[in-house]
Amino acid sequence: MVKLSRLSMVVFTLLFLFIAVTVNCSAAEDKVLKIATVNDIKSPSLLGDYNTIIFSQISNPTLFQMNSNGKIIGQVVDSFEVSPDNTVWTFNIRPELYWSDRKPVTGEDIAYSINMYGKYGKSGRWLGEAITDTKVDGNKVILTLNKPYTNLDREFATMYGIVPKHVWEKIDNPVNFTSEGPYVGCGPFYMDKIDLTAGKIIFKKNPYWKGDAPYYDQVDISWFKNKDAASEALESGAMDTYYEYSSSYPYAAIDSLMSTGNFELLEKPTSGMTFLGFNMNKTPVSDINIRKAIASAINYPELVDISILGHGSVPNEGFVPTIMDGYVKTPQLKYSVDDAKKILADAGYKDSDNNGIVEGDDGKDIVLNFLSRSSFSREAELIQEYLKAAGLGSEIRSVEDNTWYELKDNYDYDITLDRTTPAGMIMHASLGTCYFDSRRTGGGVLHNVDDPVFLNLCDEILATRDQSKLTTYAQELQNYYAENLPGIALYWKNDVTPYNKAIKGWYSNPIYGILNQYTFTGVKPVV
Amino acid sequence: MNQRENITKKIKEPVLIIAISILLCFLLWSLVPQFFTSCDDHTRYKPYLYPSFLHPLGTDDIGHDILSLVIYSARISLIIAFTAGGLSIIIGVSIGIISGFFPGIIDDILMGLTDIVLIIPKIPVIILLAAITRPDLMLLILVLGLFYWETTARVVRSRVMQVSGAGYIQSARCLGFSSGWIMIHEILPVIYPVVLPKLMLVVAGASISEASLSFLGLSDPTMNSWGKMIADAFTHGGFIRGMWWWYTPPALCIVLMILSCVRIGMIWEQTGTETAFE
Amino acid sequence: MPEQTALLSWIIRKAIRYLISGFIVLVIVFLVPRLMPGDPVRNLVGEDVWLSPATLQALRSEMGLDLPLNEQFIHYLLDLFSLNLGYSYHLNGPVLNILLGRIPWTLLLIGTSILAGACFGVIAGALTGWNPERWWARTLTGSSLLISSIPPYILGLAFLACFSFYLHLFPIKGLYDTPDIFSIIYHLTLPVLVLTLFYASRNLLIMRGSVISERGLLYPQCARALGIPRQIILKRHVAKNALLPVLTLIALDFGFLFSGALFIEIVFSLQGMGSLIYDAILLRDIPVLTGSFLVISVFVILANLSVDLISVLIDPRVRMGRE
Repeated sequence: MVKLSRLSMVVFTLLFLFIAVTVNCSAAEDKVLKIATVNDIKSPSLLGDYNTIIFSQISNPTLFQMNSNGKIIGQVVDSFEVSPDNTVWTFNIRPELYWSDRKPVTGEDIAYSINMYGKYGKSGRWLGEAITDTKVDGNKVILTLNKPYTNLDREFATMYGIVPKHVWEKIDNPVNFTSEGPYVGCGPFYMDKIDLTAGKIIFKKNPYWKGDAPYYDQVDISWFKNKDAASEALESGAMDTYYEYSSSYPYAAIDSLMSTGNFELLEKPTSGMTFLGFNMNKTPVSDINIRKAIASAINYPELVDISILGHGSVPNEGFVPTIMDGYVKTPQLKYSVDDAKKILADAGYKDSDNNGIVEGDDGKDIVLNFLSRSSFSREAELIQEYLKAAGLGSEIRSVEDNTWYELKDNYDYDITLDRTTPAGMIMHASLGTCYFDSRRTGGGVLHNVDDPVFLNLCDEILATRDQSKLTTYAQELQNYYAENLPGIALYWKNDVTPYNKAIKGWYSNPIYGILNQYTFTGVKPVV
Repeated sequence: MNQRENITKKIKEPVLIIAISILLCFLLWSLVPQFFTSCDDHTRYKPYLYPSFLHPLGTDDIGHDILSLVIYSARISLIIAFTAGGLSIIIGVSIGIISGFFPGIIDDILMGLTDIVLIIPKIPVIILLAAITRPDLMLLILVLGLFYWETTARVVRSRVMQVSGAGYIQSARCLGFSSGWIMIHEILPVIYPVVLPKLMLVVAGASISEASLSFLGLSDPTMNSWGKMIADAFTHGGFIRGMWWWYTPPALCIVLMILSCVRIGMIWEQTGTETAFE
Repeated sequence: MPEQTALLSWIIRKAIRYLISGFIVLVIVFLVPRLMPGDPVRNLVGEDVWLSPATLQALRSEMGLDLPLNEQFIHYLLDLFSLNLGYSYHLNGPVLNILLGRIPWTLLLIGTSILAGACFGVIAGALTGWNPERWWARTLTGSSLLISSIPPYILGLAFLACFSFYLHLFPIKGLYDTPDIFSIIYHLTLPVLVLTLFYASRNLLIMRGSVISERGLLYPQCARALGIPRQIILKRHVAKNALLPVLTLIALDFGFLFSGALFIEIVFSLQGMGSLIYDAILLRDIPVLTGSFLVISVFVILANLSVDLISVLIDPRVRMGRE
């Protein structure tokens, strides 16, 4: 008796499972573009969740955007004017933009969005302090600022997506508002559902979009908790492409992906770099010779091979990479252990006890306090080896991000590994200055340069929109970087975006990759 | 059959011999790794090499010889597992003995302490501690050791309480021997059959915890352990490239070590039949 | 009558002990996240976003972080009385709601595994313990030993690699694709299988061990001598008493339910309590951490209390010989 009921239970369960499997294996879709990512959404908040904001580029575009060459061009804004003293900015809003609930996008929406960020936002608070007056005149929005700002267009190319006033003005504390959707948007798609349990965000075609009609009816962005699962989803054909903010498709997985024969790679250089930073005020690293020696001791070609599997190149002197608007060419960095040793010897560092490590001013072996973020443990290992070959000892402390923020804010290191993101590179006075200016603390920046020459240069860049002056300043900045070495880029890498061969029309910009309007209006299957 | 004969008979079982030899093998690997492999775990060759005669298990993403990594990692893995396990047992046994021998307030306080350690969610707190401090071998051992003693303490305590009522303990007390002496010389020998299997289980548990922490990237990246090898394989393309020769050997080593520990712990399993007359 | 009052006083003493420990845990659970180094405010925005010191200060006071610790503690206790577990600025919602959103899924995943593992493990364990010499008993014991010696995440990875990556039989992530029952079952099959194997093998070994030691005691031998058939001895007498250690473990499993199978969640990309806690640690989301730890502790205390109650009720020997 017992055996029979147990048997039937087993059979029943198996049957149930079988049905479940078959039901899910046969799926009919109408035209859906599927994107895999590892940027997970933690809470369904259009304005409050970091990664939701990134994905909202499709549905709630920003005023400006970057084109694939890194130039700032208009998106919601058609054109703009700036007063000669840089305190009054006039934006002309593009006509023919409609919200997904049929209402047109007006200057009121823009004015509302900007002021909302200024009042409630976290990263946008500075707007609240900076903007003294907002005027809307038809399709013009005029902002008056409390002091000269020369780069508002750059600031508005990231993060501050516009939202409809008629929906959001009723909401208390919009930045903390959570809802699974749908959210009204004015891009080619609008955000229909944020499904945390299924792990995906669903965008549906905006019926009132007047631009080029997208081929797809729906865009699904699914996030995975580990990269291998995402890669596997791509390889098995469950996903059409891969996206990761400020990052490339994992280089190690590329070979496996290409061997399926179904994919092509979109490879573009990026200004996101891993770099070695120095504590400029602490001996021995405060000595320029030590930094120059380190710059020669790093085996750049090997790093390009091992860290990024050849998808990049050896960087040039200076900090600004080729892809950036304002790049100034400098000679390539050279790897030479002999040069490194010579620089140390010429500067007076000797290895009197012949143990392979030179001694510092205090007569003791130089052992550098090497603080590394745990994500760079491989690079740290390699660099430790390179330094040792040149005669410099180091001790690695590998910590997770938050601990790293605290330690580096207290300058508790000699050398450290950090990374830049394309958005970070254009912040402040652009060209990577936000990583070094000691007046801007916090987050992922090193704020390790307090040299008045550098700080003045930053201020001068911030004070003008004159293109010819800016070109001169860019040159001075690059030279400063090359001569003073506050940070050394380990390699210049390419961001690789794989996409299904059967689909064409991909467009990638340095900051948001394929998440831009050109991609989503342009992608379609190859016929 | 008494205890001794039981154990002697069991040691001759083939599976047990295999278990002991595996542990001995790992021990040798940690003491003299250079006898087992010509490369060491720091030299780098060409990365992502397939297994070949020169590198029987290929190389990893930086170029380390994987076979050497496996052998050299034995040291850290064993150190962590046995030191954390040992620490755990020492704390557990001490608390258990004291608690069982002195009923009353001391017992209640110590058991209350045990409760607290039991209630605190271990995995999250271990992750928390690992995340906020600089990853360090000693710290890891301390943390692992401090979290696994409560079951040992409870088991030891109940055994001690069973034994305290026995005649010979009472006589020792009457004769004036100090509590400390009694605890060490009379009670300790009685409880080791209970403690030793626990030791093995705790060692196994510490080993799993260490591997799990490495998986999350929270162990010391400068110290090679088997758990770290698996984590590296996972984060540096080992899985997606199908490099089973990278992640299977360390996983196998971990499993074998745990299996051996558990099997050895089973020696003291009480399978004798009770008799009505001794 | 004296036995009843003794039982009652024993329950009361235990309850008091747990209450005191519970309060101490309350304090610990409050302090630990707040003493962590690392700035929760920094994690409210991305790494490449700059916040002015004024903004940081404003955010900090909005989050109540600039109050002295004792004041924060008072707020915390008062909030607890109204079941307010705080507000998470990282996840934009009251902690209670966030927990209630995750708990059902964790319950589904782990609860099912515990129950399935309990059923299979106990039954199989009793059978193998009663007949340890048979070949199927040896095989089951051996494989259980093997499975419980594998770190759970490795088992999960192996299953994921084998059944999802290579054989394409099961999905790679998520709790469901569309919120219907079939999709949920399809997605949860693999993780539940892994966890069930894990629990079942451990339960089998322990049940087997205690059945073996019970078997050697006097009373089953007496029953045998009296001519009672073996099966009935197993079911009526031995199994009940041998159940105790396993039951203890199973109850404790439920207690630790919400520590969550963090690693399984990471491997199978599931949204549950485990990853909630892990993310909160990385983001220094103090309210979520305090809230989650509290929930876990409450469950563990309840579980322990029920274990003590069960052991007293089931096994008469415990009732007699208890302190």
